[in-house]
Amino acid sequence: MIWTLFKKEAQSYFSSPLAYVLIGLFSLISGIMFFNLLVTYSDGIQAIPQNMTETVSFVDEVVLRLFANINFLFLVFIPLITMRLFSEEKRQDTLEIFWLSPVRDWQIILAKGLAALSLILAMLLMTGLFPLIIWGIGIQDFSVLFSAYLSVILNACAYISLGLFCSSISGNQIIAALLSILGIMFLWMITWGGNLNSNFIVAEIFHYLGISSHFERILRGVIGTQDLIYYLSFISIFGILTVKSLDRRNW
Amino acid sequence: MDNILIVDSVTKEYPGRVAVDSVSFSVKKGSIHGFLGPNGAGKSTTMRMIAGLLPPTSGTITLFGEIVFPEKRHLKNQIGLLPENAPLYPDMTVEDYLTFVGKLHHMKNIPSRMDEVISGLNLQDVRKRIIGNLSKGYKQRVGLAQAIFYNAPFLILDEPTNGLDPQSVVELREFIKGLAKEKTILFSSHILSEVEQICDHITIIHQGKIRASGNLGEIHRKFRQGLVLKLGLSPGEKLPDLSRFGHYEVGTTQHFTSEDQYHLSFESEHDFRPELVKYLVGQGILVHTVMVESPELEDIFLHMTETRA
Repeated sequence: MIWTLFKKEAQSYFSSPLAYVLIGLFSLISGIMFFNLLVTYSDGIQAIPQNMTETVSFVDEVVLRLFANINFLFLVFIPLITMRLFSEEKRQDTLEIFWLSPVRDWQIILAKGLAALSLILAMLLMTGLFPLIIWGIGIQDFSVLFSAYLSVILNACAYISLGLFCSSISGNQIIAALLSILGIMFLWMITWGGNLNSNFIVAEIFHYLGISSHFERILRGVIGTQDLIYYLSFISIFGILTVKSLDRRNW
Repeated sequence: MDNILIVDSVTKEYPGRVAVDSVSFSVKKGSIHGFLGPNGAGKSTTMRMIAGLLPPTSGTITLFGEIVFPEKRHLKNQIGLLPENAPLYPDMTVEDYLTFVGKLHHMKNIPSRMDEVISGLNLQDVRKRIIGNLSKGYKQRVGLAQAIFYNAPFLILDEPTNGLDPQSVVELREFIKGLAKEKTILFSSHILSEVEQICDHITIIHQGKIRASGNLGEIHRKFRQGLVLKLGLSPGEKLPDLSRFGHYEVGTTQHFTSEDQYHLSFESEHDFRPELVKYLVGQGILVHTVMVESPELEDIFLHMTETRA
């Protein structure tokens, strides 16, 4: 059943020009970022004395920055992807097809989330060219890539669950997109709030609630249980909220 | 089991508005039940509640002997609904759309059912086309195909002929009549002649309340108020003053000059045509025709929706 639902959502994504425009734009912007980071890095390397080049890490300066930038791009790209998931169905009155059938709400939500994720993965696939280029210029330490990709994928999952919820509460795609952009920014701001707070415990709570600290740890290859639990509970909470929001029809 | 559907004092309230007010009626197995009312009378709300899309504020809906709310998953394959706005995906082809609907209902024999439904509804020419590009008539038929695709024994059709051209309306009506051989159908409309043509039972709703429910004949009988005669006189003849006619009270007299016809309504239901003819002939008036007129559903409907509004 999930497969049937997923196939329908994925087909509807990949048959619309929006998907290709987004994939194209994403590749373009992340490509420019990558190129820019490479140039900055090589300029930096040439500027410092020969015996100190070891202090400037390629991983820190290029790879981790690139993935942090990809996370930043998600702020706009993921809301654009998730905005239509429920809003469109509401506008077309097509949710009734599901409600007339024995399908359960969580199956619909999961299938839509997975379809959005598949589009994100298609975007990230384009960035797979970058390691090839790095390999071409003689850098072969790719161990960091696994955790780097994992971190952006986990972030994407969290943003998608938030975006799905926003889409389920509004029949208007633009409003759904704006809400999820604000939601993601709020998630980042929680962490900034933690940075500004002098009370250690409050700061720790803020850091745990915000998404950035978890993202950065996994990005650097420290994959802790608490971070995985954070993502799992984040996605579950917004999944449940979306189920509740769809249940509103029964009021 | 005679009644497939029993709606028992169902009320639906929205903040500050009662959309459906203590509605009760039942639908017999194998019938086409007309659900009649002007726009905004509460037809769609009631139908959505029966289909399990909307819970009633109070009252119970029993379908196949089971209470519809809280939602029963196994009832879902038993009800087909064509809502007022057919739930169509504009970017899917007709075939993909129906396949999707079939899969949602766990159907196994989708290809053979597809051929059946497509040919039954004359959709052969558009089966590979994108729904968004189809005409309104085709879209409506695809919507109906969706409702009947998984072979639900109970169908709810909310104004299926609304906004279609006359040719499509006739075709669709014939198709719905054909469906009734195997299925029970609740069919809503605000067009009376349509309901009269295809339904054997009707329920009339107005401002959220049921005004009448039963089979067509019963409703006609119930709302016939006294005898109505259609009297045709030979050209040039004039109807004499009938107030002195026997001991019957004459209600209203309507004169249609163009046809030399009169409509006479009487308080009594007694059929006194022979006496009337004898009287008129005795007065030297040439009588052409005398007919008992049964009131049209239209009159009943207008009467009910006007006087109690």
